[in-house]
Amino acid sequence: MAEPPLLDVVDASRSFRGLKAVSNASLQVFRGEVVALIGPNGAGKTTLFNLIAGALAPDAGRIVFDGRDVAGLRPDQICAAGIGRTFQIVKPFADMTVLENVMVGGFRGTGERAVAAARAGRALAALGMDGLRDRLASSLTLPDRKRLEVARALATEPRLLLLDEVMAGLRPSETDRMVEAFRRLAGDTGVTILLIEHVMRAVMALAQRVYVLHHGVIIASGTPQQVTRDPKVLESYLGAEAPQ
Amino acid sequence: MSALRDLGAVFTGSPVRCRVALGVLLAVLIALPLVLDRYLLSVMILILYFAYVGQAWNIMMGLCGQLSLGHALYVGLGAYTAAALYQHFGVIPWVGAVAAVGVCVAAASAIGWLAFRFGISGTYFALLTIAFAEFTRIGFDHFGWVGGSGGFFLKVVQSDRMDWVNLRGHPVMFYYLALGLAVLGFVVSAWILRGRAGFYFRAIRDNEDAARAAGVDTFRYKMFAVQVSAALTALAGVFFAFYYNNLFPEQIFNIGRSIEIILAPIIGGIGTLFGPILGAAVLTLLSEGLNEALAAAGREIPGVKQILYGVALGLAIMFMPHGIWPALARRLGFDRRDADAPTARLVPPGGDGPAGAPPAGAAPAGGRVAAPRKAGDG
Repeated sequence: MAEPPLLDVVDASRSFRGLKAVSNASLQVFRGEVVALIGPNGAGKTTLFNLIAGALAPDAGRIVFDGRDVAGLRPDQICAAGIGRTFQIVKPFADMTVLENVMVGGFRGTGERAVAAARAGRALAALGMDGLRDRLASSLTLPDRKRLEVARALATEPRLLLLDEVMAGLRPSETDRMVEAFRRLAGDTGVTILLIEHVMRAVMALAQRVYVLHHGVIIASGTPQQVTRDPKVLESYLGAEAPQ
Repeated sequence: MSALRDLGAVFTGSPVRCRVALGVLLAVLIALPLVLDRYLLSVMILILYFAYVGQAWNIMMGLCGQLSLGHALYVGLGAYTAAALYQHFGVIPWVGAVAAVGVCVAAASAIGWLAFRFGISGTYFALLTIAFAEFTRIGFDHFGWVGGSGGFFLKVVQSDRMDWVNLRGHPVMFYYLALGLAVLGFVVSAWILRGRAGFYFRAIRDNEDAARAAGVDTFRYKMFAVQVSAALTALAGVFFAFYYNNLFPEQIFNIGRSIEIILAPIIGGIGTLFGPILGAAVLTLLSEGLNEALAAAGREIPGVKQILYGVALGLAIMFMPHGIWPALARRLGFDRRDADAPTARLVPPGGDGPAGAPPAGAAPAGGRVAAPRKAGDG
């Protein structure tokens, strides 16, 4: 491909007290793509996300976003650069309403309340949350909190959206609704999405490409169909010496 | 320009009855000195004073979640700065107030930088604020230029004239000054609450990680909250100096003073606009009323005020953990939030599925609870 990737992670590593959580991981996400990052529990997916989003600084490697090395920047600087993220364990602003939660994201790069409110309105509409705007975030159900995470990240008008297990714990019907929302989002706004997901149903439906992380190492990548047939991937999920 | 527009919207954005009530309250407060005697006037001054410092503290803790237990530091520094400039150099208090704000913002910046740069938060941050107030108190005990532990006294001019330039004279002047401060505190709080800073403050208060991820430079905004709060509290200090005319480090920097400052917003409603004002009125009237009652009974019980404060605080925490104002506001219809929000809060947080299984009696209240299965048919 001639066009440079929007996100280019080059040999990123991060250890915790000698444990290599992410080891020489490289991945590329191109403009307009939906890419999934999968792997067993403890594979280092969220750590890799945290490196990209600035919550953690990499020990080594480069994280290039839109031609600029953003490794080691603060999360708010990463956000300003155009990367929005959600948290696996939802972090709503509990004592604020849904609209106010999302407006916090909407204030990125502007002090205008009206701009923030307009952005928040669009984000809430995209996720079908219009009816909840005046509810306190603390009163939401888990699926709604997950959607709130996405709406808040979306209101920052990111060029790259990092979604960390936003479907986990949802019922299949809710998952389908969420998948549909992301499809529409990608179609309407052209936002690029990198998502961590365990729900294969969602991965197969959304992602054009998949990276598989195991013990901090990228062990496979390709289309969803390719990686799910890859013996190394099956092995990582099912164990090494699976009975024949 | 947009700042001014937002300031206007602070008032146009609230319910009509809310604006009317505010207008009536302000009119009553402006007319009040016409009917009050000297004693009641001093009680009102006390209420307005505590309402104002409570508002100042509330910006830092109620909005931004940064607990200061050493706000007496800024009262003291503000008071001493303006008083010393007046006494030693004849600088009028209005100019002295600017210097006082400067000194307090500098002190707040130093404390904030130390804490936020090195990740000190929560209880440890609160301890840091106490430490600064305490060693400043000890420092002033040995600061001969402003009288040390023996106290610092302003020239008292006994007159019924109102010298607004030098803030010398009749209590009515101090009443209007305190009222002006309280209005200032209210307007500044409302303005902050409405704008980006208010959203960012509350985001930081509720979840700092999420705030960062949503683009909030948390260091910068925590510093801003601390600085605004200190600047406003400095003006309270200037008022204190010129109203009481005497300053003792032992009193003004005392941790008891810091606690006194935070009681009104806690009891009135932390993080709300009107809570500190209501809390100040309730607490001051209770303690003055008790004093009067005891005096009428010919008794004097030392420390009774502290016991009353303790009991009031205990009751507020037990029965109204969000303070008096949120409950009262809902009853008066001043609450802007969706009417079903408080009932919806009964749903256990994180509960999966729509409203799980609400307690039997609560079913109709939420409005979002699925229509109850027809009972009796089975």
